[in-house]
Formats: sequence, C-alpha cells, structure tokens
Amino acid sequence: MKTIPPPCPEPDTGPKYWRSLDQLADKPEFRQWLEREFPEGASEFTDAVSRRYFVKIMSASFLLAGLGATGCRRPVENIMPFAKQPENYIHGVPQKYATAMPIRGTAIPLVVESNDGRPTKIEGNALHPDSNGGTDHFAQASVLNLYDPDRSMRFAKQGGVTAKREEALDFLSSVAQQAAGNGGAGLCFLSERTNSPSRDRVQKLIAAKYPQAKWFVYEPVDFDIAREAATVAFGKPVTPYFKFDEAEIILSLDSDFLALEENAYLNIRRFAKTRRLAKAGDKMSRLYVVEGLFTLTGANADNRLRVATSQVQGIAAHIALAIVKDSSLQAPLQAMADAVKLTAAQQSWVAECAKDLAHSGAKAVVVAGYRQPLEAHLIAHAINSALGAVGTTVALQDYDRPANGTLAELAEQLNAGSVDTLVILGGNPVYNAPADLNWTVAQGKAKTVIRLGYYEDETTASKTAPTLWHLPQAHYLESWGDARTADGTVAPVQPLIQPLFGGLTELEVLARLGGLEKTNPHDIVRETFRGLAGDDENKWRKFLHDGFLAGSAAKAGGASLSFSAVAARLGAAKTANAPTSNSLEVVFYRSHAMDDGRYANNGWLQETPDPITKLVWDNAVLMSPATADALGVGKFKAEARNNEASAGLFENQIVEVSIGARKVEGPVWIQPGMADNVVGISLGYGRKVDWRIARGQHKEGTGFDGYRLRTAAAPYIAAGAKVTGTSATRALASTQEHGAMEGRPIIREANLAQFEKNPQFAVALNTHEPPAPLNQPIYKNPFDEFKKRGVHQWGMVIDLNTCVGCSACVLACQSENNIPIAGKDQVRRGREMSWIRLDRYFSGNVNDPQAAFQVMLCQHCEAAPCENVCPVNATAHNEEGLNVMAYNRCVGTRYCSNNCPYKVRRFNYLDFNRRPLDSLKGPVYSMPILNSVDGEWELARWWKNPDRGLKPDEEWDLLALVKNPDVTVRMRGVMEKCSFCLQRIEQAKIAQKVKAGPSGDVQVPEGVIKTACQQACPAGAITFGNLNDANSEVSKAKQNPRNYTVLDYLATKPRTTYLARVRNPNPNIKDSYETMPGTTDEYVKKNHVKGDPFATHHGSDHGAPAAAGKGGHH
Amino acid sequence: MSDIFPKWTNKLPRAIIVGAVLVGGAVTAGVTYYFTPKYTRVGYQPIQPVAFSHAIHVDQVGLDCRYCHTAVEKSWYSNVPASSTCMNCHNQILKDDPKLEVVRDSFNTGKSIPWVQIHKTPDYVYFNHSVHVNRGVSCVECHGQINKMDEVYHAKPLSMAFCLECHRNPELRLRPTDKITDLNWKWDEDPKKNAEMQKANGTKFVHDWNVRTSQSCSACHR
Repeated sequence: MKTIPPPCPEPDTGPKYWRSLDQLADKPEFRQWLEREFPEGASEFTDAVSRRYFVKIMSASFLLAGLGATGCRRPVENIMPFAKQPENYIHGVPQKYATAMPIRGTAIPLVVESNDGRPTKIEGNALHPDSNGGTDHFAQASVLNLYDPDRSMRFAKQGGVTAKREEALDFLSSVAQQAAGNGGAGLCFLSERTNSPSRDRVQKLIAAKYPQAKWFVYEPVDFDIAREAATVAFGKPVTPYFKFDEAEIILSLDSDFLALEENAYLNIRRFAKTRRLAKAGDKMSRLYVVEGLFTLTGANADNRLRVATSQVQGIAAHIALAIVKDSSLQAPLQAMADAVKLTAAQQSWVAECAKDLAHSGAKAVVVAGYRQPLEAHLIAHAINSALGAVGTTVALQDYDRPANGTLAELAEQLNAGSVDTLVILGGNPVYNAPADLNWTVAQGKAKTVIRLGYYEDETTASKTAPTLWHLPQAHYLESWGDARTADGTVAPVQPLIQPLFGGLTELEVLARLGGLEKTNPHDIVRETFRGLAGDDENKWRKFLHDGFLAGSAAKAGGASLSFSAVAARLGAAKTANAPTSNSLEVVFYRSHAMDDGRYANNGWLQETPDPITKLVWDNAVLMSPATADALGVGKFKAEARNNEASAGLFENQIVEVSIGARKVEGPVWIQPGMADNVVGISLGYGRKVDWRIARGQHKEGTGFDGYRLRTAAAPYIAAGAKVTGTSATRALASTQEHGAMEGRPIIREANLAQFEKNPQFAVALNTHEPPAPLNQPIYKNPFDEFKKRGVHQWGMVIDLNTCVGCSACVLACQSENNIPIAGKDQVRRGREMSWIRLDRYFSGNVNDPQAAFQVMLCQHCEAAPCENVCPVNATAHNEEGLNVMAYNRCVGTRYCSNNCPYKVRRFNYLDFNRRPLDSLKGPVYSMPILNSVDGEWELARWWKNPDRGLKPDEEWDLLALVKNPDVTVRMRGVMEKCSFCLQRIEQAKIAQKVKAGPSGDVQVPEGVIKTACQQACPAGAITFGNLNDANSEVSKAKQNPRNYTVLDYLATKPRTTYLARVRNPNPNIKDSYETMPGTTDEYVKKNHVKGDPFATHHGSDHGAPAAAGKGGHH
Repeated sequence: MSDIFPKWTNKLPRAIIVGAVLVGGAVTAGVTYYFTPKYTRVGYQPIQPVAFSHAIHVDQVGLDCRYCHTAVEKSWYSNVPASSTCMNCHNQILKDDPKLEVVRDSFNTGKSIPWVQIHKTPDYVYFNHSVHVNRGVSCVECHGQINKMDEVYHAKPLSMAFCLECHRNPELRLRPTDKITDLNWKWDEDPKKNAEMQKANGTKFVHDWNVRTSQSCSACHR
C-alpha cells in the first residue's frame, strides 16, 4: 500500500526525521518488526522510506538516535519543476541581458549574466560602439550590493516606523496634489548627478507643471567641472571627450584619468592602444603627469613631476606660456606662473614637456583632474586649442541638460525657511555634505523630507525634520531606466530581477511626485524612447537586445576657444602659496574602493587593496617620507620602501589633522612619491552606521571620515592644515608589506631606447638570475606524454606595458569564482583569499620613486612544484595544461602553498562563506563550535544542520544568491587558486562538443573563451587561449620579443608569461630614470652587472633570445 | 614463585594478531561493500507523489525521452517536466482519473509537484547531460532500463568508479547518435556478436568523433 504525500510537505530535516522514528516506535507494526526475524517489508510503514533504507537507518538509530547523525544518510531532496513551463527557459543554461550601470554623469554599458533568475556576473557590453567589453572595478562589484543584507528593505516614516508601501505612495500623491495647487512652491528636489534621457524628460515635465519647484544636484566627488570648464572655454554647452588612443604626448594635470576620473575604464582602453609594442620600431605614447598625490596615473607616467596639488595650476601656466601665443592670455598666465617658484630641475622639466607637446601638436592632449580648480581646466583647454588638438585628440560633444542648483544654494534656502518639502533622491548628504554647510541642521528646517535611499543611512537616521519618509531604492539591476554612456549613446537600464524588497526607482518617485499620468518606469522609458527613435516596436526590441541605440552618440560639433572668456576667468584666478610643514595642504580624493562612500558596505571592494597603498578596510593620512620626518610622525623603512611593519603587522600612529577648528584623526601612512607637505585623505570611509561591513569610527570600524574637514569652498584642496601626532596607534591591513623587488628581475623594464636596441631585453635578464640547480630534470616530465591527449593547450600572456593596475580583474575574479571575503583581521594575518594578487613595486629614489604593477596569479606551471608535494593528489595536471584543484580531495596540508614559488595559492583557514558578515570586522573570530548564538550552543546547532553555519537566516539566503553555480563554494581547510576559469573552459568545450555531435570538430574556436579577468580588463592586457593553435592571439603574444617567464631559473615552465614593460621617458629630462628604469638600476647594482644589462649573453646556461617563447610549449 | 602469566598467555599475541587481521579485514570488506554507492544507492526507489510509470509511457505509448526531458540535449540538467507537459495529453486522456489529481491540482494552482530526487551526484561534481547524449552515450548507460520501470529506481551506482569505467573505455559504450533514446537498442540480439560489434564500431566512433574522454579531475570537479 502506498500513500501519496501532499504536494508540498515540509522538508525532511534531521531532527524531524528522528522524531518520526520515535513516533514509529510506538506503533504495533514496529513492535511486530522487532519480534520478527526478518522484516516483512518497509511498505507496511506509512513513512515514505524504502525498506532497504529503513533497515539501514534503524540499525544506526539504535546507536545514534537522538544524537542526530544526519550526516550518515543522503537527505531526501525534491525536484520542483514548474507547474507551467515558461517559454524559452532552460534550467541550467544562464541567460544574459544587456543593460547599463548609471554612474554620475555617465553610464557603463553592460551584459549581465543571470542564473535561474539571479544576476550573478557583470560584464561589459562588447557590442557597444564605445566599449571593448571591459569595465571598471566598481561595476564588477556592484552586483554584490544587490544582495546586501543591510540594504533598505522597507518603507519607513518618522522615527523609523515601518510603513506600508501604499501608505508611502499615498503620501507621495498628497504631495503631488499640494504642489499642483501651489505650483510647487516650497518643493525642492536634491538628486545625484544623472545622465538619463528619461530622467531629464520627467524633470522637464514636472518643472513645467510646478514652475516654482527647485532642483539641486550634489555629488561629493563631482566630475562636472570638466563640462563646466569646457562650457566656459568654448562658449557653449559641451562635454570634452578625450581620445587618448590618438595621442602621442599626454600631459595630465593632476588628472587620475587611468583610475578615478569619470570613464576611466574607457581612458585605459584608449591609452593601452598606444602602449602595445609588438616589435622594435612600434610607436608608443609618452605620458607626463604633474600631481601632488601618488595616483595610479602617476604610477604609469613616463615622466612625473611631483608638486603640491595646489601648485599644479601654476605649473600648467608655465607650460601654457611656452605654447599659447594668444596675447590676451599672456598676462593672466604670467601672473599664475609667477605664483609658483620653480627649481632648476622643474624649469627644465616644464620646458622639455612644453617642447614635446608643441612638437607633437595636434597629436598631443592635456587633461586636468577633478581636484583642480576651473582655471587649471581652462589652461588645459587653451593649450589643447593652441596645439590644434581640439578635433583630433579632444572631441567636444554637444550637451543639453537641465540646469540645477548646488547644495550650498539649497542649504541657504533651507536656512531661510523657504523649503516645505525636500525630496532627496539618492545620495547621502548628512554624511558627505561639506562640513561648513552644517547640513544636518539645514535639512531639519524642511517641514517634510522625503528620502529615496538604497540604505537607511545617516541621512535617513537624521531625525531633525518634522516629517521624514524613507523609501527604499531599487538597485539598477532591478530598475527600468535609461542612460547616456560616455560617447552620448543611449543605453537601456533594464531589470534582471524584480525589486527584491519592493524598491522604487528615481523615475517612479519623480513621476508620482509630479502627478504624471505614467508612473511605471518601464512606460516612462518606453515613451522617452519613442521620442528618440519613433514608434517602431522592433527598434525598441533591438535597443533592449543590443543594449544601446545605434547612432545616438552625441554630435561632436566644432567649437573654438573663447580667449576673452578664458582670460577673464584666469585673471580672477586664486593662487595659493606652496604648503610648508607648518601649513600643510590636505587633498581629498575619491577612494579607489569606496568611491565617495557609496560602496562602504561592499565587502569585495573593502577587501580590494588600494593599488598604491595596498591598504584594505581602511583609509589613512597619506604623506611623503620627508613630510613625515619633518613632522616626526609615523615610521618608514627606506630599504623596504614601505611603512614599518613588525612581524608583518602594521601598527600605525594616529595623527590629528586640523584645519582651523575642524579636525579628524586617522592613522598615518607614509607614501613615497607624494609631494612634500601634502596630506592625502581618501573619502568614503568612517561611516556613522552600524552595518555588517561599514562601521563607524571605532576600533573595529572602517577608516575615518574625511568629509568632516571639507568645506564647500575648498572641496578638494584645503590649505593651512596642521598635523600633530598622538600616542595612539591603529592596526592597518596591507596586502604587501614590502615595496621593493630587491633587485630581482620579477618585473622587467627597459626604456624605449633600450627596447629598440635589444627587443629581447627581458630574456637577456635571465642570465643574471641565480643559476638553476639542474638545467635538465633527471626524469622525463610525465606531462610531456600526457599532454598529447589534450585537444587544446591553454596559456596566458599578460602585457605589463598596457596593464595600469586598475584592479578590475581582481573584482571580476572574485565575482566569477565565488571568492569569499576574509575580513580585515584575517588579511592582517595574511589570509586574504583573492586569487589575483596585484603586486605593486617601488624602485629608485624613495622620495620620487617609480612604480610598477604585476598581476600575479597561478602560473599553471607545466612542471608544477605544488603537485609533487601533495600527499593526496588533490592538485594535479589535466591533459590541457591546467594545474587543477580537486577541492573535495584536499585535506589541507598546505604543502602545495609552501612549495609554490609564486605564492599564489590561498587557503581557507576559516569557513569564510559561513561566517556572519559582521564578524568580518575582527579582531577575534570566535570559534565556530564554542560559540552560543541566541542561547543555542553552536555545537548543538551544528548537529542539527551542519550546512547553516553561524549566519542569520536572511543573510545566508541573500548572499547565496550571488554565487556562481558553476564554481564550487569552498569550505574550511581547502586550498584554492586561480583555475584559468576552468568552468568557462569546460562550458565552451561542452558547447563545442554539443555542436560537433557525431563529428570530430571538437576544438574550441579562438575567441570563444575569455577568462573573467581577461574579459573585464579594459586595457586588453590579458590574452588567453589555445597554444596548440599557432594563429591564436596567445600564441602570437608568446612570440612577442618582450615575452619572459617569472623566476625562469626554477624551470617550472609556467603557462602564464609576461610581456616586459617599456617606459618612454623624455631623455632630455634628468630625473635619474632617463638612462634606465629604477627596477633595472636596482637589479644592476644588486647583481654587480658590468656593462649593458640588456645585452644578450651567448653561451649562457639560459635561454638565448631564440627561446623567447618560453611559454611552456617546447 | 608462581607464574604471573599462565601458559596459555603465550598464545595471546598470536591470537590478537590473527584476531586483529580478521576484524580489520571484516571492517575493510564491510566498508568497501556497504559504504559505497553500489550498495547504498542501487535499488533506491522512493515513493513519488504521482505513480508515474515510465513503462507505460515509453514502452506502451512510445513517447521519446525528450518529449518530457526537453533540456537534456541543451543543458547540464535534464529537467523533470512541468505539470503543463503532462496536461498536454491528460486534458484529453484520463482527464478525471483520481491518480492524476495531484497533477491537475499543480497545473491549476501553479504549485510544483515535489518529485523525489533519485539520481544525484554530489555538489562538487559537475555532470553535464548535453555533452553525453549528443556524443553517443545513451540514457540507459547511467539510468538503466527506465523504459521497463513502473516506478523509477536507482539502477547504476553513479559513483566515481562508475564514471571512470566509461571514461577509460568509451568505445564499449558509444552508440550511433540517433539511438540515444532507444533504450532497447542493441547492435545485435546475440550478446557475443553485440559485444564484438560494439567494440569495433565504438573504436571507430572514438576515432571519427575525436572522443578524448578526460580522466582528469577537471572533467567533473571545478
């Protein structure tokens, strides 16, 4: 007799299962079974368990009943198919949708992968006319924000009382009715900078309806200065768009255009195009950088001039004087130039730079950064115009946007009491408004504050307004919208998932407040599109499918510089004295990890090392070694070119930075390469919230809040600061405690002239490596036979010349490969989990060093040292040359990591995936077994459900959603490392075999597989592919003369090789790097090399140049 | 002085050694037999919410596997059909049968039928259906003669050893790709002749289709 269980029974979890046995024990059938010699059959029982299974379980139950040994049996799992099959859905096959990530005045075109309805991986949209498929690291990490357990999940009214959605929407309608009555008097909108045609259209509609309503925009880090300056300079609204790929000579005036300026990922792509060297004689651009901080762009400079950030405009004026011949500008430029006293070396630098620019003419470009005042931007435009670069390297896009007020103007209105209803759309002004605006008080003066926010953050928590409504904001992956990308092309923002917590989009809130007919954001976007491209449904479908509207790029109209306008503005320029150690200059900058604070609760970004300082989970008070010496704070180790660490741990002195009455305290970090008497503070840290990742300024918090020092008048450069040391220290976590290569040829560099002389210079450096113990192994490598079975042989080449160190690959890898967050305390112990390590080395002069970056990941050695020492064969080679890890086999001896010369293996010391997020803060990670949560002992909980871990239920569910289903989530005690994105390789191979069917065509075509890092790299620095195919990109890259193997003398035959870096400094500028790069100089001194280090030594142990392709397949 | 140890204790070490060997051998044999999927999984036959008979649907009615398991050629996952698939026929045939109450309910309410999973690989195994059925591996190799089962049971162990058996000797299993879902198909009725033909044709398939079954960890574990 069988019974049919009800359609949705509760799952048979451990405890319930055993309880049901207890109940069975009372039944007569059970007694009968006990008395019988052989049981008659399990079908007598009403439990849905087979007889065989039942007997087995019963025998165990007598021993273990009550202990809950659920691990002994496989749990019953149900398959829940659809009741009605949706069309075009195949379970197990991921779907991809085109969308875009709006960010300030621009957007990044994306293709997002969705697995069973969960967005899991973000990639750039390579179809888009202005994209190669690369993204920046923020875009890669933004998917984690979608599943942030601290995000706003409810509608709330005054005092944080949860409200119903309908209630909130009714309130919005009542505001709309009132505004319709009085024309919007007393209604103010404060939003972030956006660039959405629909958003602009809705604003225009509302402005027409409510003529009295006022509009304001605030961005704590604002790139709009570039538009503002171009508009002044050219006398009409234009946005400058820089074509670095057309440039031969680039001058950056404190512009971090390769990392933290707007559209940096595009700039990287364009810049990289000018740095690809295939052979001697290839052209290469030259990058001049004038800056006060040490930025990523500065680290990639060929010639770098370190001056205080406030002095950059004066340097710019000096250069402009040599180039701009227009008479009206001479006087104001001279005045600005005179304000900066140049040393002899600086004079020659400026003169040579100007000469180079002038020589290059229309092929040169000058850019100024967002930290610089308008005048610096105007000078840049004046130089570009004089060079004839406008129209070649600088395009001016026409631009038509509604005008908005500033935050300071809004604060004035609020203080005057003329604001009834303040609508704050996104942003977080209570946290990031300039300190002198006293925003918390000002905001409280509005009668009603309606706040659309992704988090219930400082702005929502501020309880000063009489009425405050909080509306949860939808993530962009949950929203309908549109946006213009950098080139002005319209791209759709389409949702991949319904709002997880019922969030609203900015468009919908605006439409409801405006009392518009259509409030559904999809309909609004659809209607905007109708206005842009007509009513054709097919065009709309193509728009959504492709992710952009072809031909909608902004028109680049001609424009000529208005010298009179520029002269007028330059004449009124404010000049600043050079800072001294008594009157320091504080420079605020956008954080590489937190942006302006918006990613503060994103654990992936918190754990991404800053490319220059290599700090994680913290910001610091940055200053040059000389400044620190003068002030007597901090400790610095000149030989290591890094801050002093004791046993690998950084305990840094806390200093107080004060400007007038305002002060902040933070740990000091000595940064070689910064201008003297400049203090750098990155924004976005020290949040006054108590979330799982972002925390306030206490011991376990993340960083300190630089906004407390900022004023509206001096948002980026504040003069007159003082720094005093305190006796307190703060533990900092840095992923690299040594900044020097100590003369080892790990990164190989040459100046362009040396490359021209010997293109194979990188291989020549092999000869000076320590001698290999044996050139030929005693035994034949078994892999040589084994690899004949493989259809493909995978290999990778990383071009150090185009890699700028932006970290997009690191985040892409984290997202693709389910890499957990370790937490600050664990990183301090060296337990970071990132598979890609971005090494940053300093060389040369401690005060003015050169920096070089190297992406270090598993090298997939053919003769892998890790494999020989694994006692359980958990790491082994496959026939296609991958060094693979079988996690289920690994027992965690860590021998492999010990034996890895590249130190690229990562060990799961703790169950990182099962920890609650808020335990990441450290300092102590409680033992999982001996911990009691909610009165329940961990051990007891573990017996009941070993899968759950310590996480709160909702957090567990949310974070599980971001995981890539094709990659195993590793547990404690397991070693892991880069797999060359094995899952992508296998999927491509399977797809090819499915396509082949009963035929032999199983070789995956070139270009089908892209590893996650390669895909995300905006520079295209990573090449991956099949070495068996002589025509594949990677095979060609291995033939590049710059190709070399790291630690070649170990004869590990890595499949990953590097293309050596070539610098292109101006030989006439004497800055001690003009003869050879700093790393090479160090190498020469350390190894006592006589003569030319790059000369090829014949008859040596190692590879003659002919062996340049030491990629592993020979 | 009397003996501390009586004489029989001289035999004790031998007895202990023999005993230990016997017990150890028994434990090893026991674990090898009882703790492997061959014993723990084969024969597993849970009671399903609907008494669906593959024998009736495949052998009598003549449905192809892919009528219901539509994704098997495209996805790693071979789907269990949606209730709507059942209703394609059962809105006409046996449309009031009480045995189909659960299916009709599911179709009407939109709630899934909780089928009990029988064939399952561990989470760290990435088995892919599509690559096998498109390249000459029949359903029957792993699932047994489903077409003869009134109620599905676990027919093969699906252990790693089981997978490797075929990955080491694919020529003994490969068949023409149009016979994948014909679970009764053989080269020949005579077993001896069948084996010979399988070997000959299988070897040819391995060569012609460039079959290089991977025996590396990475084939299944990522």
